[in-house]
Amino acid sequence: MAWEQIEWVKAASGLGAGLSVGFAAIGAAIGEGYAAGKANQTLSYRPGVSGEILKTMLVGQAVAETAGIFGLVIAMLMLFSPAAGKPVLTGWAYLGAGLSMGLSAIGCGIGAGLPAGSACTGIGRQPRASGQLTTLMLIGAGVAQSTAIYGFLIALLLLFKSLPEAMNWVAACTLLGAGFAMGFGGIGPGIGEGIAAQNAVTSIARNPENTGLMTRTMLVGQAVAESTGIYSLVIALLLVLST
Amino acid sequence: MEELGKISVWSVDVAGLHLVFNLTTIYMTLSVMGILILFAFLATRNKGIVPNTFQVIAEIFVDAFWKLTRDALDEDMAKTYFPMICAMFMFLLLCNWIGILPFMDEPTKDLNTTLGLGIMGFFIAHYAGIRTKGFKGYVKEYFQPIFFMMPLNVIGEIAKVVSISFRLYGNIMGGSIIILVVSYLVYGLIIPPFLYAFFGLFVGTVQAFVFTMLTLVYISVQVK
Repeated sequence: MAWEQIEWVKAASGLGAGLSVGFAAIGAAIGEGYAAGKANQTLSYRPGVSGEILKTMLVGQAVAETAGIFGLVIAMLMLFSPAAGKPVLTGWAYLGAGLSMGLSAIGCGIGAGLPAGSACTGIGRQPRASGQLTTLMLIGAGVAQSTAIYGFLIALLLLFKSLPEAMNWVAACTLLGAGFAMGFGGIGPGIGEGIAAQNAVTSIARNPENTGLMTRTMLVGQAVAESTGIYSLVIALLLVLST
Repeated sequence: MEELGKISVWSVDVAGLHLVFNLTTIYMTLSVMGILILFAFLATRNKGIVPNTFQVIAEIFVDAFWKLTRDALDEDMAKTYFPMICAMFMFLLLCNWIGILPFMDEPTKDLNTTLGLGIMGFFIAHYAGIRTKGFKGYVKEYFQPIFFMMPLNVIGEIAKVVSISFRLYGNIMGGSIIILVVSYLVYGLIIPPFLYAFFGLFVGTVQAFVFTMLTLVYISVQVK
């Protein structure tokens, strides 16, 4: 290697931190903006419940921001861990961790923002059901974030794994591949589960009596939509643990 | 910045096992439990038609969570699981809020606390499922669409524990890291109190509620 070992680990930590926080910011910001847009739209024809709508929007945005916060945590952990004495493979693990956290947070930020937006619309339509709407929005957005949490888990495993001293291209690409597997695998389920939650919240605003039935149907549908994310998690775990 | 992610530990070697105790987490969990027991004592000491302050707060908690539990489960089953749900929310809320006091740390900043609660919720939900559907009906659920989906269904159930506990841990840990870094950058001037209000009080409340509701929902999915 042309670079000194310590310089490569430092460079990779910078690159990994950028990937992690940069990609994670995309999804969270889109989701929060969607919620704010829907809240404004609702306020234009229903200014009477502005306090309730503002509260729901803020709570929904706080949940949607989780994915971005996870990206920031991984970036900070990479930047502030000492680089001296680490094997060269640590740099590849950092890149994998950044990809895993950053990419998987894109979908989950968008997905968690969708139910927040429709909860604002729903409160405008049916202000009396606001308690049920907020609860279902939180459950739906929380479940929609699971793939970002799997990405966070893979990133933490990559960061704190003890790696062999010698550089080895197979191991390097395996670590990077684990990041790709979990990162790309997390985008789709996040958005898909968000759509399920969004429509469940909209339907409860139309028909609050059926809350129990719709909550269960939403959860079953989300569990099926999440299965591809779980396949990615299994492959990523196999890749991380095999190095 | 060296204190990032460091916790004080006490490790002992007993009979060939290397045991590590996270002392800060244990102290803080015990303080939270002590405060909650004191609160429960004060709230129930002079019960009456005209309630005192503590009784009013306790009634708000009980009333709100009784409604949520009754909506998610049947009336009978809600009576069994309501005390656990309400106590879990109060415990988590205080755990997430205690970090705003100086020299105090959130017990939920440690993965062991959240993972422990998540595993507890997992076992309670599956116990409830076995009790209502019988062992045969419970096992049948795993072979649901087709029989070879069994391993993935099992992984999906375990992944629920991972997602519920890492969500709480990541949020609280992330909040405290952000507060630490920003306080370091601005030398502790002006901004940190607002960050404590946002991450400690607001995000802490939302995440405690999400954790409790997801535990409740997992129970209700198992029994229906």
